[in-house]
Order: sequence, then structure tokens, then C-alpha cells
Amino acid sequence: MTVLLEVQGLHKHFGGVQAVEACSFTAAEGQITGLIGPNGAGKSTAIDLISGFKIPDAGKVRFEGREVQGKTPHVISRMGLIRTFQSPREWPGLSVLENLILACFEPRRERFWRSLRGPSRAEKEKANAQLVEARAILDEFGLFHLRNERAGNLSGGQKRLLEFARMRMAKPRLVILDEPMGGVNPVLGERMAAAVLGFVTAGTSVVIVEHNLPFIERVTDQVVVMAEGRVIAEAPFDQLRGNPAVVDAYLGELPTYDDAES
Amino acid sequence: MHEALLTLGFGLVAAAILSLSALAFTLEYSVTNVANLSHGEILTVGAYCAYLVQQHGGGVILSGLAAAAGGGLLALAVHNGVVDRFVRRGIGGLPTFIATLGVSLVIQNVLVIIFGASNLGYAVPQGAPRTVGPFLWTDTEIQIMVSTVVITALLYVIIVHTRFGKSLRAVSQNRSLARVSGINANRVAALTWLLAGLIGGYAGFILAESVGTFSPYSGFSFFLITLTAAVAGGLGRAVGTLVGGVIVGIALEFFGGYVSASYNLAFAFAILSLVILVRPRGLFVGGRRSVFE
Amino acid sequence: MIDYLVTVLTEGSIFAIMALGLNIVWGWSGDFDLAFYGYVALGAYMTLVLTVGPATDPTTYILGLTLPFPLAVALAVVSAMVLALIVGAIALRHLRGIYFSIVTLGAVYVLYVVTGQFVPLFNGYNGVSGLFDPMGDVLGLDYSSYSFFYLGLCIAVLIIVLLLTTRLNGSRFGLALRSLREDERAAAAFGRDIYVTKLKAYVLGAGLGGLGGALYAGYLTAFNPSAWSPVETIILYAAILVGGRGSTRGVVLGVAVMVMGLQEATRYLPEIANQPSFAPALRLIITGVVLVLFIRFRPQGILPERRFRDKDPAGKGDAAAVEPVVTGPKLDTGAA
Repeated sequence: MTVLLEVQGLHKHFGGVQAVEACSFTAAEGQITGLIGPNGAGKSTAIDLISGFKIPDAGKVRFEGREVQGKTPHVISRMGLIRTFQSPREWPGLSVLENLILACFEPRRERFWRSLRGPSRAEKEKANAQLVEARAILDEFGLFHLRNERAGNLSGGQKRLLEFARMRMAKPRLVILDEPMGGVNPVLGERMAAAVLGFVTAGTSVVIVEHNLPFIERVTDQVVVMAEGRVIAEAPFDQLRGNPAVVDAYLGELPTYDDAES
Repeated sequence: MHEALLTLGFGLVAAAILSLSALAFTLEYSVTNVANLSHGEILTVGAYCAYLVQQHGGGVILSGLAAAAGGGLLALAVHNGVVDRFVRRGIGGLPTFIATLGVSLVIQNVLVIIFGASNLGYAVPQGAPRTVGPFLWTDTEIQIMVSTVVITALLYVIIVHTRFGKSLRAVSQNRSLARVSGINANRVAALTWLLAGLIGGYAGFILAESVGTFSPYSGFSFFLITLTAAVAGGLGRAVGTLVGGVIVGIALEFFGGYVSASYNLAFAFAILSLVILVRPRGLFVGGRRSVFE
Repeated sequence: MIDYLVTVLTEGSIFAIMALGLNIVWGWSGDFDLAFYGYVALGAYMTLVLTVGPATDPTTYILGLTLPFPLAVALAVVSAMVLALIVGAIALRHLRGIYFSIVTLGAVYVLYVVTGQFVPLFNGYNGVSGLFDPMGDVLGLDYSSYSFFYLGLCIAVLIIVLLLTTRLNGSRFGLALRSLREDERAAAAFGRDIYVTKLKAYVLGAGLGGLGGALYAGYLTAFNPSAWSPVETIILYAAILVGGRGSTRGVVLGVAVMVMGLQEATRYLPEIANQPSFAPALRLIITGVVLVLFIRFRPQGILPERRFRDKDPAGKGDAAAVEPVVTGPKLDTGAA
């Protein structure tokens, strides 16, 4: 089991508030790592720090052994770590298909001069293959009939699926999903779970932040629990139930998590 | 030293006008989150209203009141006619900002058609300069500063001690939360714009008095300096804006007195750009951030 | 009559070039740049000081190199791009939304004040003049045929610019730019270097602005601060908004409506004796009203930007279909 992402002693404060404090955990390759904790535990801030959207005050983030803390988001993304956001961030004015095409970052083709010259034969072929792949992925997520629709017109659940579809298109080494079930009809739960598991099959490891604990239990291999900016536990989900610190943090919510279903 | 004090005296006059204008702008911003690019025209219209009253034999007090009334009505009209509708339709801050630029263009040119594009001036004389301590001020300049202090004090009382002021602060912090707690946010916003318009219109009058002449474009030029003060103080923060107004007003006067008055506007924008680039949320807050924070 | 038509068309093509440049910045990249007319003005000034002879008393300006017109235009475009690179490098680094607009407004005002006040640069408020019929001598054209030649030149340049923007519009560069406009964070999350990409678009747009300015200078034969003020930018914005933000055809239509059409519509207004500024003021009022109404009721413009439509569900596809806009005959209704 190789470590893909290693977070070590991450610190971040806003004004007087310590949002993330000495946060350390690892995520292994080929696994789905859950990141859970009560509201305000610092999960979202931790993701922002890892993906470069916020700059940590101190600490280290290693991705595939390379230090990435303080690097800009696009640099981290190009290394193969891509994240989603709490609210879906599609490109609303572009079509669903364009959203998928744009998920593949192509440094050469996006250059100005190259764009002016037009695509080469090889690039045209590649673009074609991309289009075929995009259609297949959309079909898999049940969005194919919407491929020419303005992405901003999709429903909340469809936008989540679109984010997953974009991720599949981008094929990163590691994807960080920030509350993918947020605002999604629970009926779609099975489909979302399948999609998350599908990432690993497609060669993408997953870190997932989620409040829906049954969902976490269903998909994760390993769970990191945060509370008040710190990591208080790191273990497979079924070993957490006996952990007093975790039960404390959740105020006894964990053993009776049935309500999270609703 | 004496000369520096004299410049400081003139700077205080400029600071007074600038503070009022910037306060009005920041009030508008605080309740709607829209930077009103037609703010300068509130000042211009104020100046022209005072002019009309003076044409018909009105004195300084009546002119000041007319200026405030004109500015207030215009601000209310811009809020109810454009800004509020746009905000309620969910049209974002930037498109609304662009729309207010269109409003500004309309008002400027309506004034050009009515009054012509050339400079006008008031008939009421400024009065001879007199020595007040180390400073040299005319009666008009004393009137400007005294009235500014009074208006600022009144505004403070309104914001801090009245029910309306409490609602205003609530709306400016979080509009939807204020609405949930039973505040009629649209009405509060409209009243705030009216209040801002009253202050802005009066600021336009004292600006024209102090400069001596005004044209349909003078409000817009001054608006650019207003923006500097408001942004330096932190958009939407009243106290910061007041401090920003005083600092920028005095700084400009010293720059004008010791370097070159012609480049005043350029200097103001140099300050503005510097402030925005170094401290985008105003001079009085800070911290290291990435682009996305 | 024919002379008048030539005038209108020449001005129209020049403004279309400028608007196409601004459309790259605002329509694609999404930045509301208020400094744009500064690049137009710099292009115009530079063309003048590079083509006319050295300044003679009492005028003063820099250079005065008597270069051939095409070379001067090229250098003018480069200088506009250099200025845009400096302004953009500073303003695009951390600023977005209104803060970006405010700083660019500041930049153009500084430029405006400096060109007006600092006489040794471009002769202050009197401006630079003396560029009569560029290339007319070389080509041996007389006065009447010259205006046709210049119209042809402007239209030729416009066509080149149109080809260029259409090509970019359908390219991955254009698509990446629009992803920045739509959601910057998502664009960064998927690997786009926002700063560099936006800066490229900004400099490119300014280059077209400078090109428009250079042609404008050749057309006006002179340029001074009364020929431009930061307000001129709004007219270009109104044209883009009316035609269709982000849409190349739309921008051309917008210029036809808002610049040429409005000019025409107010041309036969009665002259009011003591109101020489009536017609221009009325034009600006209409521009302002149109701006507000379009933002409120039809933000996508008359000819909205087209999205790529995938018509080939069978999955074979052809390469061209991947490039948005190239295909797609159906007009988007722009339902929002």
C-alpha cells in the first residue's frame, strides 16, 4: 500500500480562530479515504489547504512524495490531484459536453499560437476520441440526452453527476470530493456510491468529505475523523464506533446514525 | 511650517467634502453590495439644484437643503428604479455595477442638454479669508466644515442609536438573515439610499461652493476620488470610510500644494491602486491570502 | 451621399475592430476592463508620433520619426500591448470583479491626465496632428480615391481580425477562456493557470484596441484628449452587450446598431442654436438607457454566443464537431 497523499502538521487560522490545527493524515493509493467530523471541524479548510485554494500557515502536504503546500491550485491539479467543491461548480454557460471536454486539461492545445494555427491531424484524432469518450461517460451517468443543454440549467443532483463525469474525464491520480451528497436526493445515493467506487476501478484514488455516515461506511476503506481543527482518529469505519473521542465529538451521534439517512 | 499648516487647513476642507461623499457611497454599498457608479451624479444633481434655488434668490441654507433633497430623490430613484430591481432579480453585483455606469451616462447627458456642458458658478460670494488659529479659511469653508461635523454626528446617532440604524446594520451584515428576522430589507435599503442621497447631494453643493465652478462632469471626476477614500477605508465600513476620506483629502491637498495640482486625479488613483493591490479589503484589515480567499 | 457612406463604413469597421478586441477581454475572459480605450488612444498617439516629422515650436511630442504607415501601425499595436501587459500584470494578479474594474478605471484616468498635462509626451491638450492620407503618396492616390482606399484598408483589416477571432473562438484557447468567465475556481481546479490565461487574453484584446486606434488616427489625421475619454469605453461595451457578449457575429451587429445606427438615427436632428452638444448628448443618453435595459432584459444580446451542439449521437463524429461554434446552425434560445 503506497501513500499517495500525506498531510503533516497543517495549520491555518482566520483572525483569531484556529480553523485547522496540527492536522496530519494519509491517504493511500487505490483506496477511498473518508474525511468526517462535525460542522466546523475544519474539513473544508483542510481540503482548501491541500488543493492550494488556501495557503497554510504551517505544515506540509506531500502528494506522491512531492511537497505541494503553498503551490497554486492549477499546479497541484496538473500533478494529478483534482477536487470538487461543496456546491457544484459547473461552467454554467457552457454545454454539458463542453464541460466534459474542458475537464481534460491540454496544455499544448490551449496555447494561443497553437489555437491560432488549428489542431494537427493527431490532435484532431485525439479530440475525436475524447468526444467519443465523453459521450460514453455521459451515457454511464445518465446525462447523455442532456449533452447539449446549458450546464447551468441542470438540477442539483444532475450537477453532482456532471462533476463526477468531469472527474472521470480528467482521470486524476487522486480526487477529493467535498460533500458530494450535499443537496442530492437520497434516491440517487446508490448511483453516487457506485460512481465513487467506480473511480477506484478507473485508477483514481478518492478522498471524500461527507456528512452522510451510512454513505461513508458503505464506500470507504479508511476514515479520518476531525474535530475542532484536529485529527482525532484514523481507522477503518467499523473500528471507530468504539472510539470514545469520536463518540464525544459527535455527541453520541455515531451509534444511532439512522437519522443521517433521512 | 506655517505653509504646511495652511495646506493642512485647505486639506481639512477637502477632507470634509470627501468624507461626506465617501460616507454616502459606502452607505449605498453596505445595504445593496452594489458599487454605485452613478454616485457622482448625485453630487452633480445636488450642485445644480442649489444653483436653481440661488437663481431664484435662495440663500445658502435653502440651497443646501435643495441640494440634499435633489440628491436624495435621485438616489431613491436609482435604487428603486434600477439597483433594487436588479438585485431582486438575482442579477449579480458586476452587471448591476455596469448598469449604474449606464445610469451615470444618462444623468450626465440629461444635465448637458438642460444646462449645457460648460462650467457654472454660484452667485453667493465665498467671503474673505480669515485667520482661525494657524489656518486661513473663508466663511464658506467654515460653513463646509461645521456642517460636515454636524452631519457626521447626526449620521452616527442615526446608525448607532435608532431602530432604523439597527435595521440598517443588520441588512448590511446579512440581507437574507435580516429579512428572516422580520426586517423589511427592501424598505431599509431604499431609506438608506435616500439618506445617502441627502448626504451626497449636500456634498455636491459644498464641493461646487469650494471649487467655485461645476459642470455635468464634475461629480464623476470627484467620484473617482470618492472611490479612493471609500476603498481605502474598506467598502461598506462607515468609520473606516470616514478615516479614509480624511486621510485621502489631506494627502491630495499636500500633493496638490507641493507637487502638482494638475496630477491630483492621477495621484488619487495611484493611492487607490496601491490600496487595492496591497490591502483589497481596506487599510484597516489584513493577512496573507491566496487569490481565492 | 457616397462620401458619407464611406465615412460611416470606415468608422464602423474601425470600431468593430476595437469592439472585437474588447470582446476577447469581457466577452470571453470575463473581465470588465475600463482601461480599454486607453489602449486605443495609445495606438492612435503612437501611430501619429511615429509617422509625422519631428515636433516644431510650439508643439512638443516624442519621436517624430516619419516611419512608413504600416510599420508605425505595427509598432503602435506593440506599444498598446506592452502597456496592457503592465496594467494587466498588476491588475489581474489578485483582483476580480469591481476591484479589477476600479483599478483599470484608475489606470486609464492616470493615462488620460498624463497625456493631457504632460506636454512633452503627446503635446498635451492640443494633441498631435499632421498625418494626412497615410500611404496616399506612395500609391499615388488623389483626394477622392483616397477615402475609398482607406475604407478598403479598414475593411480588409477587419476581415483579418474576424478570421482571427473566429478561429480563436472555436479553439481550445477560446474554450478555456470562457471557462474562466464561467467559473474561475473550477477552471483552476482543472489545471488552468488563471492569471496567465487571462493576461494573454487581456494583452491580445488590447492589441486589437491599439490596432483600431492606429487606423482611427489615420482616419482622423489627428488625435487629442478631446477625441477620447474613458467614457468612450462604455460605447464599446454597449455595442458588445446589444450584439451579444462573447459572440463574434453579435459584436459586429452591435457595432452596426450602436455606433453606426445610432449615429445615423440622430444625424437629422434639428440643430439647436445654443445647444451644439445636443445630438451627442442624446446619443449618450440612448447608449446609457440601452445598456441598462439589455442588462436587465436581454443580457445575452441579440445574437447570443453559440454553444457547441453535438448532433452525432451515433458516436462516429468528425473532428470539426469537437470545436465549438464551428458546427451548430441552430440558434441558442439562451434560456436561463
